[in-house]
Amino acid sequence: MVKQATKMKRLINAIWIFNWFNSCGFCELVPLVGSRWDMERFGMIITGTPRHADVLFIAGYQTFKSIKRAQIIYEQMPDPKAVIALGACTMSGGMYWDSYNTVKRLTDYIPVNIYIPGCPPRPEAVFEACMKIFHHVGAVPPHGKKFAKSQSK
Amino acid sequence: MTETPHNENKVIGEISSKFKIEGKLQRERRIWVTTVKESLVALCNFAKGLGFEHLSAISVTDWPDEGVFELTYHLWSYSERILLTIKTRIGRANPVIDSVVPIWKESAQIHERELHELFGVEFEGNQDLAPLFLEDWDGPPPFRKDFNWRDYVRERYYDKTDEREKTYCE
Amino acid sequence: MSEKRLIASEQIAPVTEEGTEYDFYFGPAHSGSGNFGVKLKVDGERIVSARADPGYLHRGFEKLMEYRVPMQNAVLSDRLCILEALNWNLVHAEAVDELTGVEVPERARYIRVLMAELSRLQSHLIWYGVMSLALGFDTGFKIAFGYRDYVLDIFEFITGGRVYPAGYICPGGVRRDLPEGYQEKIVNLLRQTEEMMQKIKDFANVVFARRTKGVGILKLEDALRLGATGPVLRACGMKTDVRKDDPYEIYDELDFDIPTEREGDAYARCLIRDREMEESIRIIRQVLERMPEGKVRQPEKITPPKRVKIPEGEVYVRNEVARGEAGIYMRSVGEGEPYRVKVRGPDFLHMIPVLEHLLKGSQIADVPAIYWSLNICPADMDR
Repeated sequence: MVKQATKMKRLINAIWIFNWFNSCGFCELVPLVGSRWDMERFGMIITGTPRHADVLFIAGYQTFKSIKRAQIIYEQMPDPKAVIALGACTMSGGMYWDSYNTVKRLTDYIPVNIYIPGCPPRPEAVFEACMKIFHHVGAVPPHGKKFAKSQSK
Repeated sequence: MTETPHNENKVIGEISSKFKIEGKLQRERRIWVTTVKESLVALCNFAKGLGFEHLSAISVTDWPDEGVFELTYHLWSYSERILLTIKTRIGRANPVIDSVVPIWKESAQIHERELHELFGVEFEGNQDLAPLFLEDWDGPPPFRKDFNWRDYVRERYYDKTDEREKTYCE
Repeated sequence: MSEKRLIASEQIAPVTEEGTEYDFYFGPAHSGSGNFGVKLKVDGERIVSARADPGYLHRGFEKLMEYRVPMQNAVLSDRLCILEALNWNLVHAEAVDELTGVEVPERARYIRVLMAELSRLQSHLIWYGVMSLALGFDTGFKIAFGYRDYVLDIFEFITGGRVYPAGYICPGGVRRDLPEGYQEKIVNLLRQTEEMMQKIKDFANVVFARRTKGVGILKLEDALRLGATGPVLRACGMKTDVRKDDPYEIYDELDFDIPTEREGDAYARCLIRDREMEESIRIIRQVLERMPEGKVRQPEKITPPKRVKIPEGEVYVRNEVARGEAGIYMRSVGEGEPYRVKVRGPDFLHMIPVLEHLLKGSQIADVPAIYWSLNICPADMDR
């Protein structure tokens, strides 16, 4: 992600998301769109097609059938892009560690940038993960600091 | 609350007079009946005639030591408000049984399709036994008792040398 | 109106020699479909046939339960259908209780019913939100998910988890007692939900009626043959509910109605779910008035898992979850883990036979209305 940071700095002030949620992700990502946790005030919206998206949210455990589709979606997203893996089952098999049909190591299939642990993680954790992307690309200064005059666009 | 009518003894009596098998009354609204595989379809037809028009579930239990698969058919009657369970056994080496699709149509067909994929049971008379959940699966039928998932997963997916993953292999 | 539409689409001349038939995959990444795909054969705008494509969420739940003891299974059972976790918790706990023959204390039964009805309310709110989204009505979506969050606050207050209560309803009773001050919070919640129901009634005629009346009609004999249960069957005219026909917990002591409709179309299913929300509120009020004192678990101490064995036997338990009839068949041979668990979810029948039957002959633009009026949950279909 370091190489992309310079590219992303000029493009990103708001990130558009493509949701690939299996089961548990649905319960904790859809309230983010709702009025209480409202992610649109940060500029994040959900797009219907991967070609418009910057960030792919993989939320929930993956099975072999669905990881193939996730790979196709990842390849359809244009650069620069990031992948966020949400939930314990996505990262390491979680509660279904002994199931024959779930994916245990997500990085074997898709490169992941940020992991969000939890079963399921709270909406505040998802916002913090998105904040880390903004910090990383320099769109938002880290906590307690301000942009130097020469750095701001 | 009005008492909803349910007459289990009548159902047990009718089955025993026609088929000579004794139903067991487990508690109110639950009757369990065991039969041989050859008379399964006749018994199911008779039960449907008595009012058991809702097929709730079909299940298979694997007994590898005895070499049998035990099938259970759970039938519910809306008019009598009783659950009748029919149990039967088939051999494990060659698991073939007549399908109940002619009696309960699509609701039976989907249950049999799932059991065919997960246990490998053949249902004669069911036209559509295509794979349901799994894509490109070439291993044994996954729900059988001789396919140990924990060994399979430790062998294939977890790396014993990796620090974080070796706890799964202990 | 529908006759006019038919004639117009048939008058369009085909572009190629072969005609206007094509394959359309309403697939899992489509924003309107959940984690489930349907392969459609379409001719112009009419669907000729449909074939369901399940399996994106298959984990092999039933065999996972064979490796774990009942208290661990109670935690796993929340995830059978993520949208109504506490209802499935209850089904599993009842199955184990019937096998062990334990006498669940009175207070625990009332708490179980309270949590199950709150979970049903929350599930119907999700349904309302997603159905509005599918019909293009964004305000309804935002309102429903906003009000649902108040129910999740109550869950967090009582059980500790917003979405998954970590096996709160466990074999023997419930894990811990209700905390102080729960009555005011729940009464407040009911008042807020009734406020929302009033808004729903104002929207129903304008938005829902136009898109769902006369769409996806299911006749009674087809519903029985295809295995439909719950609101889908009640919309066809059959007055049946597991809580009244095969009562469990304390439902035979409570006073509530079973809403039914006659037409069997998508609008009827929507109306039934609205009325079920009102009935749930009524049940919760009765439970709050009648809550007795006492223990909440039998036995009181939770012993380490390895020492408790389930007696030998087999049971089949039926419950009414928000989507229909749920069943668990459990067989035990006297060990700590169950020998075989079979889970019967209502969506297994709704998503494959009923959906394929309803989609045949309808228009593409009606697919979201039919699909979401069945209130599907792919997790409990694939297990």
